Amino acid sequence: MASNSPDPEDYRPPGYQLVTWVILGLAVVVVFGLTSIRTDHQPDTSRDYPSRPQLPDVEPVLLPPPPMDDEYFPCSDCHEDEPPNPIERELEDEHDEMDFEHGTLWCLDCHDLNDREKLHLADDALVEFEDSWQLCTQCHGKKLADWRAGVHGKRTGHWRGPKEYRACVSCHNPHSPPFKPLAPEPPPLRPENITPNGNVRLEAAHE
Amino acid sequence: MSSPKQQEEREVRGASRREFLKTAATGAAAVMGAPGAAQAFDFESFLQKNFRQMSDEEIDEVLDRLSRKYSKKYGKDVTVDAVGPMDDVVYGYGLDISRCIGCRRCVYACVEENNQSRDPEIQWIRVLEFEREAATRGIDMEDGNPYYDHETVPAEDKFYLPMACMHCEDSPCTNVCPTGATWSDPDGIVVIDYDWCIGCRYCMAACPYGARKFNWGEPNVSAEDINPDMHLLGNRPRSRGVVEKCSFCIQRVRKGRYPACLEACPVGARKFGNLLDPDSEIRYLLKHKRTFVLKSELKTNPKFFYFYG
Repeated sequence: MASNSPDPEDYRPPGYQLVTWVILGLAVVVVFGLTSIRTDHQPDTSRDYPSRPQLPDVEPVLLPPPPMDDEYFPCSDCHEDEPPNPIERELEDEHDEMDFEHGTLWCLDCHDLNDREKLHLADDALVEFEDSWQLCTQCHGKKLADWRAGVHGKRTGHWRGPKEYRACVSCHNPHSPPFKPLAPEPPPLRPENITPNGNVRLEAAHE
Repeated sequence: MSSPKQQEEREVRGASRREFLKTAATGAAAVMGAPGAAQAFDFESFLQKNFRQMSDEEIDEVLDRLSRKYSKKYGKDVTVDAVGPMDDVVYGYGLDISRCIGCRRCVYACVEENNQSRDPEIQWIRVLEFEREAATRGIDMEDGNPYYDHETVPAEDKFYLPMACMHCEDSPCTNVCPTGATWSDPDGIVVIDYDWCIGCRYCMAACPYGARKFNWGEPNVSAEDINPDMHLLGNRPRSRGVVEKCSFCIQRVRKGRYPACLEACPVGARKFGNLLDPDSEIRYLLKHKRTFVLKSELKTNPKFFYFYG
């Protein structure tokens, strides 16, 4: 075989060099791309962010308790004409529709016998209805400490900056303090009812 | 330090390279034909750097572009910001499980605040219901039922445990991300750069709390429902194929506000504050209450604490 025909094993298709260079070029791009993409996992704490807001720490504002029920207030509208009766008893004619679930307390433990528009503390000092938290916290001292620290009760607004908090009677009915059950929001869908194209109702999913 | 001249040169070169790539990509799209072009492929987004590698100017460009894009899409004034962490602040969250009644108000407040897809449904917070009696033998997370549906809550002999991202100090999710698309910022918030998430879901496999959610479909929030106050690493609209999760309401807390779930809670069971401030609410409860974290044996060091009030 002395012919000059190319060795089949040495055969290169036309444009072979160009293809090689293109592949090599792509490889370089990919390698460079990968090395520049991969960042280390630790956050760069020296990174200068566009803005760093600093709000002042300020004292929280106590929101006023909800307004009193017009049906009962002012108390003296009815009680003015009634002779006061200090004897502890079950109420029969008036206020009998109210739930009373507050330990062994009865009306005059908190309400004042002589001044119907006021409450009284254990030492007989009178307090306004708006300041009833002073009365509650005579017994619930631990709650008072937590409430002052913002850990009992609800606060809204800013964790740093202006915020509001609420007095006991904003959330608790003083005559029946336990939090009342309420209707929950709807449950989440089950995985089989969520598709990439959208939510599927259970009935539809089984058809 | 480079001289201003060198800096300028670098910027010019950078700009021209970007111009070149843009032209090349446009050319490629034109070659590929009309269908590609009709999709209005976003080259600026395609070429966008990882958030942590961007300069302030580049971030501003992105914020501006996205604000305009979303304002147009939703037909209202949308602002996307990238407010950074405050100095000397590391966030902590407290949840009083003796108070939680399982009403799910937090779940829906979170959905609304953080622009989670309504259809297909995505919810960052999951409220698990447990038997009170079973808890005396120790909680097994697998016994938690998120699908309870009672007339009123709390149901008798049950207790409730809401769960979302724990913002772990040693977060397994960020360690496994192959593109560096998720990381823990200096204030402890574990954030996601949605433009760099490739949807591999390694982070979802790594997270022991099931906090991360995946967009299997195109997320859907109506223009009416969209919250226009957005953070680049938080509640801005996501796209199909990316992972999302709780960001402690980064768009709110970095401006000093409480998270949305906290404000929605009717029983005041949720507490939030600065772990580095000894006078904060969160520090008070860590000091005075019995607290625990979920799956402490995994040493992820969550910054989400449950407590008995």
